[in-house]
Amino acid sequence: MPLEGLKGRRALVTGAASGIGASVVRRLKREGVEVVATDIHPGAEIAVADLTDADDVEKLAGAAGAIDFLVNVAGGPAAPTRSDSLPPIPGAMALEDLDEKQWSSVIAANLTTAFLVCREFAPRMKARRFGRIINFASIAARRGSDRVGVHYAAAKGGIIGLTKTLALELGPHNITVNAIAPGFIKTPRIEEAGWGDASAAFIESLPLRRAGKPDDIAGVVAMLCSEAGNYVSGATIDVNGGWYFGP
Amino acid sequence: MKVAIVTGGAKPDSIGHEVVRRLLKEGMQVVVADLYEEGFSALKQCLCVRTDVADPESVQKMVDAALSKLKRIDVLVNCVGGSWGITRKDLLASPPLGFRGLENCSLEDWRTIVAANLDAVFHSCRAAAPHLKKQGGAIVNVASVAARKGIPPGSEGSSGPYAVAKAGVMGLTRQLALELGPHGVRVNCVAPGVISSGRLKRVMALTGKERGPEGPMSTIPMGRVGTVEECAALIVALCTDDTSYMTGVTVDINGASYAA
Repeated sequence: MPLEGLKGRRALVTGAASGIGASVVRRLKREGVEVVATDIHPGAEIAVADLTDADDVEKLAGAAGAIDFLVNVAGGPAAPTRSDSLPPIPGAMALEDLDEKQWSSVIAANLTTAFLVCREFAPRMKARRFGRIINFASIAARRGSDRVGVHYAAAKGGIIGLTKTLALELGPHNITVNAIAPGFIKTPRIEEAGWGDASAAFIESLPLRRAGKPDDIAGVVAMLCSEAGNYVSGATIDVNGGWYFGP
Repeated sequence: MKVAIVTGGAKPDSIGHEVVRRLLKEGMQVVVADLYEEGFSALKQCLCVRTDVADPESVQKMVDAALSKLKRIDVLVNCVGGSWGITRKDLLASPPLGFRGLENCSLEDWRTIVAANLDAVFHSCRAAAPHLKKQGGAIVNVASVAARKGIPPGSEGSSGPYAVAKAGVMGLTRQLALELGPHGVRVNCVAPGVISSGRLKRVMALTGKERGPEGPMSTIPMGRVGTVEECAALIVALCTDDTSYMTGVTVDINGASYAA
């Protein structure tokens, strides 16, 4: 059964070139959604933009036209730049290993991007009295992380605060704002980082006994964009196979 | 063909009734377990079984009937609940007026409300789980925003014991997610805010439009109550592969009125 409320809508997906973002693009297209895909790095059918740069965001909005669903996937524990194609995700990051530059760049890539994109698109959604905004938090913000570092966890915690506040602010305009907090999702980058072979003991400790796939996340995005998400707002939805239950 | 059991699916204009309609549309065979037999004639496509969910024997008989007729159970949706209209005696009664908190709650009210909202979910999950485990599946429970924030004193149409029992449903969801996850059964929960069901309409007929059972309507950021259709769509999504990696989760659906 196709989901109600998706066909004929238009979406902007950020961080769309690979992993979860690419999976979200495929899923929404399959539901008949017209998708504008953006990423900091070029790719097939990708509008290139550096979303930490307000000018780039404004240009992107001009080119994208009317957007019903805004899916802010862009981000990660290692911040990409225009010159550095997908930097490898580092191993465990201790507090004293982090310098200010790493702190700032990861906050910018994960939190400032969402702020700038929401600020650009919310007025357009308000004018049309319809919008669905989906931000990406992380299990690192829910339970903390023993791997990715405080900068990433703090940025993703910031996403949850931004999401709750925008839900209050934009609710009267029929715009819902939610976050998805993925757990351990096997994306190509995670595999490259050598985390793909997570210890058997860890996987065995998950109630669903497996790592997540990008498509597991894309399904929840589709759900939130559909009629099922009409009255859901301010929520952070944990998609982690039962690893952690949140508040 | 997949088989779903929906408790509390017979009353028209209820979340459960809309869940039944949508599961049929998904191509499932649906068992409706309810005390409200008057609703059965409108549900001829379903296997309707008169069930008192507060009574474990009645629930077991319903599950046995489902198995003998339909041979399997893939989905269980526990919609039954409420602060009133939950026993055969008061099924069609108007809501009792006046705030019912914990302090002024009779032992009888406490037991009745906890039985219909929490014991009921335990009974149906325990009876259905062995059959869900055979091929995997999904359980969706219905809690309430009351589980998150309580019922503000002065509100009418809901109750303190209801808020406590619904918090229990969230805990039950997590516990069962751990137990059934390894068998391919996901267990999730929705926590609705104010939803324009027949029940809400009956409360508001008595209290006026501005006063909902969870507090004044004007405090909902989205500026409206939710619909049974929206709530049922979310419940059905939690039964499908779109949510294949979610378990133990309570999804709040409240128009941004309470972010957990």
